[in-house]
Amino acid sequence: MSTAEPAVVRMGHDLVRHLEHLPGDQAAMEIATHIKKFWEPRMRHELLARIRWGDTTLHPLLVAAAGDLVDGEVDRGEIKEPSGG
Amino acid sequence: MTLIHEPDLGTPAVANDHDVTLTIDGRAVTVPEGTSVLRAARGAGIDIPKLCASDNLAAYGSCRLCLVEVEGAKGTPASCTTPCADGMVVRTDTDTVHALRHGVMELYLSDHPQDCAGCARGNCEIQALAVQTGAAEVRYGRGGASHLDDTADTSNPYFTYDPKACIVCNRCVRACGEVQGTFALTVQGRGFDSRITAGGTDFLSSECVSCGACVQACPTDALTEKSVIQLGMPSRTVVTTCAYCGVGCSFKAEVQGSGDDTRVVRMVPWKDGGANEGHSCVKGRFAYGYASHRDRQLSPMARDSIDDEWQVVTWEEAITRVAEGFLALREKHGVGSIGGISSSRCTNEEVYVVQKMVRAAFGNNNIDTCARVCHSPTGYGLNHAFGTSAGTQDFASVEQADVMLVIGANPTDAHPVFASRMKKRLRAGAKAIVADPRRIDLVRSPHVEAALHLPVRPGTNVAFVNAMCHVIVTEGLWDEPFVRERCEDADAYLAFIAGPEHSPEATQDVTGIPASDLRAAARLFAAGPNSAIYYGLGVTEHSQGSTMVMGMANLAMLTGNLGREGVGVNPLRGQNNVQGSCDMGSFPHELPGYRHVSRPEVREIYESLWGVTLQAEPGLRIPNMFDSAIGGSFRGLYVQGEDIAQSDPNTSHVEAALRAMDLVVVHDLFLNETARFAHVFLPGASFLEKDGTFTNAERRINRVRPVMPSRVGKDEWQVVCEIATAMGYPMSYAEASHIMDEIAATTPTFAGVSFARLDAEGSMQWPVTQAAPHGTPTMHVGSFVRGLGQLTETVYVPTTERANRRFPLVLTTGRILSQYNVGAQTRRTPNSTWHPEDVLEIHPSDAELRGVTSGDVVELSSRVGTTRLTALVSDRMPAGVVYTTFHHPVTGANVVTTENSDWATNCPEYKVTAVQVEVVTQAARANAGAGADVPADAVAGRP
Repeated sequence: MSTAEPAVVRMGHDLVRHLEHLPGDQAAMEIATHIKKFWEPRMRHELLARIRWGDTTLHPLLVAAAGDLVDGEVDRGEIKEPSGG
Repeated sequence: MTLIHEPDLGTPAVANDHDVTLTIDGRAVTVPEGTSVLRAARGAGIDIPKLCASDNLAAYGSCRLCLVEVEGAKGTPASCTTPCADGMVVRTDTDTVHALRHGVMELYLSDHPQDCAGCARGNCEIQALAVQTGAAEVRYGRGGASHLDDTADTSNPYFTYDPKACIVCNRCVRACGEVQGTFALTVQGRGFDSRITAGGTDFLSSECVSCGACVQACPTDALTEKSVIQLGMPSRTVVTTCAYCGVGCSFKAEVQGSGDDTRVVRMVPWKDGGANEGHSCVKGRFAYGYASHRDRQLSPMARDSIDDEWQVVTWEEAITRVAEGFLALREKHGVGSIGGISSSRCTNEEVYVVQKMVRAAFGNNNIDTCARVCHSPTGYGLNHAFGTSAGTQDFASVEQADVMLVIGANPTDAHPVFASRMKKRLRAGAKAIVADPRRIDLVRSPHVEAALHLPVRPGTNVAFVNAMCHVIVTEGLWDEPFVRERCEDADAYLAFIAGPEHSPEATQDVTGIPASDLRAAARLFAAGPNSAIYYGLGVTEHSQGSTMVMGMANLAMLTGNLGREGVGVNPLRGQNNVQGSCDMGSFPHELPGYRHVSRPEVREIYESLWGVTLQAEPGLRIPNMFDSAIGGSFRGLYVQGEDIAQSDPNTSHVEAALRAMDLVVVHDLFLNETARFAHVFLPGASFLEKDGTFTNAERRINRVRPVMPSRVGKDEWQVVCEIATAMGYPMSYAEASHIMDEIAATTPTFAGVSFARLDAEGSMQWPVTQAAPHGTPTMHVGSFVRGLGQLTETVYVPTTERANRRFPLVLTTGRILSQYNVGAQTRRTPNSTWHPEDVLEIHPSDAELRGVTSGDVVELSSRVGTTRLTALVSDRMPAGVVYTTFHHPVTGANVVTTENSDWATNCPEYKVTAVQVEVVTQAARANAGAGADVPADAVAGRP
């Protein structure tokens, strides 16, 4: 069995919990950058779809970070030197 | 190749810049000051006989065979205990020493079996020495008191101890202590009654960990591998690399026969092996029998449905079925509907071709590796801090360490050969700080006692390391010149970590570590002067695994413990090729060499070589594959050498994902748990059949050489190439070395690597570049790979997996010495003698509360599942924490672990699961003598 929370929501909220301490807009920017670096496009698509559907369970910081995401092809040049793992 | 006999110079090498020159039998010999006469002579080709001496043991001076004459000195000193001196004149070949050696040898022979089987088979040095000393006859006769009627101890599954052949030279006792560091053996009695004993009991019941160092040390046939007794002596040697843990020990595979008739007689650790220097553990030396186990599947098999019986098919049919199946799924469900998982047990070359198949033939980046579930946070965290996804040191560095912080690792069980090095250094005076919920062996074992044991609660590592750094900063113990010169964001970090919320007093209720102990640990670590961090999965397999890796990097940078020997941040990798599988581009966001798929200049390298367009978007990680499979968009999976149905968390979720797929292809030695959900099974090759390389935890690239031909008729990389080719993307290599040539041509850190160079050098540690043509034992000397080291504000965020009224205990999981991961290999060897089942260790107070006694069958339940195990009440557990291993599928430890994972890498949080324990049956209590609490080691610790 698995928990009811969809994986992208769980993963997104994990990012929020671990990066929300960052000041100003930096938290949203880091979350967005992480998603761009490590999330497969269909996961990004699902997150954006949930926002469009008005999923009220999403943390506002995750929603704010998603504002920097593009559904579909993105300009990969915007990503900083990525991390391993 | 013939049998390799490695030279034994009698006493260890001496490191000394000052040389001395002496004369031995008229020849001038120059050696470092402090070298023994025995070593100097043997190094010069002068063969002084010896029995008790060995160049991996301190000189002992017992056997009296290595006597020599020294001009101007009285008597005939033992050359093993006599240091060389300038101008010394030594004679090894005089009538006097000949007579003495002859007399000594006669005494040995008077109590040695005339029909010694070892002498007959050439596994006993007595006969050769008798010939060398001319002592064929025994003046004293053979009718006197002797030990020739003593009984052999055959209790150990791998070797016998036959006291009839024992000369009580003490080599086994000294090897057990000096090399292995277990001190299980001793000499009992005095004079003629002196006998070797394993603590007054038989070997199997003793503290012996079956590393085999005693067997290797024995100059007679007294301690002999049962395989040698059964098969006779080997006739040729192939030097290769162990396929168990991340230490990556080099071995001489000593075999008989050739071709398909090759039989492994024994595995002997290779003295020139950079990682192990002639030592081994019970797995590497003895547990290789799985490769010829009857369970090996040697033919491809297929079935239409997982409910059908398997049907044996030809390789051609199997590969066609796989290729057509993946093509059909891709056509119907899109390019992202298929993917692959590579294995940390496979060679670099095999892993490389799997990721190439996925990227070039499948057409996506849906490639991940089992490192996802162990050390992916290491890659993330160390790359973030230093710019390289790897440990900073070589293993030999520990010999320069003054303080070791061991956290989340149990080296004596999981990395035993390196643990022996650690223990040797600790016996020499280094201090250990052990941060672990359990009282592991490094806390206290013979001749080793940690300076501090910090019983950090599972899930609170970041609070712990922050408290360490807080003390170091607020007490002014940090290395300001190092931080100012070599690190960035220092001021922000220093302000962050100085906050009172990080103080030991503020965090002790969270971590469970008394503030005074933590302050003492921080001061000890800062004092060094050489302080090193060694860690394992107890760090990475947490929701803050990556944060903790960065936290440890902070600690090392703050104290200036980087860029030289004796220091560093050192991950102890779980499997033999975790490092290599990560290096080879197995992650869905990275091409080989840890270069993100989004970088066009990197894609261009491969696109031009491979003739395809590569995707710039990251692919699915393993848990994402499972989620997408259940969601319906991921339909086909190739899995090489990983049993995801047993090893990955939340088993029911994994099984649901596997059931949801249309095509699961398992490429493995055995029909493992995952194969229950497979449609095609491709038989794999064991490490004894592979040609390639493994990269160990110290970035050491070792050769894996085929001891015998593939028992399934194909190399694994060849099978992968044939699948890709059948899918319309031609892939072929004439031999494995050509794959490494492609890796070297496209990956800067491997630029100087080739099979020929590895054969010539023995091994090399990456980066191997023009600037470092022989490799790089120590990283970040002078500057970090990323330039300045990144100090990171590591905020402690408690895991969401917390104990509560329903699940009041915390389960943490790990390994035991005799078994290895999911047990697919070790369960098919006599290693199961020591660990036939997984047990649940529980603290006495938690046990008493629940009415649990050792031997009871208990139900272990979490919010995701329930399983049953046998309980073991153990005071090495802290109250509130229970522990088990995951070696046996019948236990299904991962039935209860959850989908919680590291926030950055999705490495599962295996180390923290809220659980409850309840007694199911108290059958054991009814048995006579059962019910008493037993020492943990009695069931779970040996070997």
